[in-house]
Amino acid sequence: MLSLCRWLLHLYPPEHRLEYGEEMMRVLSDIEAHVQNKGVRAGAASTVHEVAGLLYGAIREHLRAITGSRANLAIYGRRVTMRSEFRFPKAAVVLMTIILVAILVVIERAKSIQASIPYANPHVGPIKEVGINVFPLLLLVLLGACAAATIGWAVVFALHRSGTHRFSKVDPSHTRPAAD
Amino acid sequence: MTSSPISEPVLLILLSLAQQPRHGYAILRDTEEMSDGRVRLSTGTLYGALRRLLDDRWIERFKEQESSRGRQAYRLTSLGQRVLQAELSRLRKLTRVAGLRVARKES
Repeated sequence: MLSLCRWLLHLYPPEHRLEYGEEMMRVLSDIEAHVQNKGVRAGAASTVHEVAGLLYGAIREHLRAITGSRANLAIYGRRVTMRSEFRFPKAAVVLMTIILVAILVVIERAKSIQASIPYANPHVGPIKEVGINVFPLLLLVLLGACAAATIGWAVVFALHRSGTHRFSKVDPSHTRPAAD
Repeated sequence: MTSSPISEPVLLILLSLAQQPRHGYAILRDTEEMSDGRVRLSTGTLYGALRRLLDDRWIERFKEQESSRGRQAYRLTSLGQRVLQAELSRLRKLTRVAGLRVARKES
């Protein structure tokens, strides 16, 4: 059980692991010693209980790290709140306005082209509107955005982890001597 | 202090520490004993709750002097004691009201 739990502790955010990891392992080792003489069934039940608790705890700690507050699940009975310091960048408003204006201009331009073509070339009949089913398209866009966000988050998470690990291995007393 | 009722596991942890400072494993055993085996906290759940109680300054952590293993132990702060008293007072009031209502219904 201990090796599995030690591995599961790696699912916790690094700061939580550094602060409580060793202590949690001591508690787990005490629990293992306690259930050792109680038979296989008690041992298995204890392992399942502890593994579920560690998984639950890891999710909760990550939620807390993301939201920056008490991301509490059932045990605390409070809601998950957004990080209070989170703000949209001001540039987002400008960018969204530019995109909206661009879309409106494109729609107007398309309308004028649609209206002018039959007069400019009588051989071309009036342009018929293509029936686009909006909902599947929106769903597709939404799924694409979710996939992109997930990939982005995974990349940021991986970079953060590797960066943190690298920094934790840096020995500050081991600095390169200054060049003469 | 606190506006919402404390959950049962948190209340049991505070009650456990109200008696004396304890380390993680002792808290687990004590909460299980107090609830007659009904509340069995896992290590992950316990340390999530302890971390939050530390953040709220209801409890504090210190190194046990007597222990040869130099374990970290936890004890209630004065704020934690006030929170616990307030919660117990709320529960006493609730029990009194519940008793009155049930007695009225039975008579």
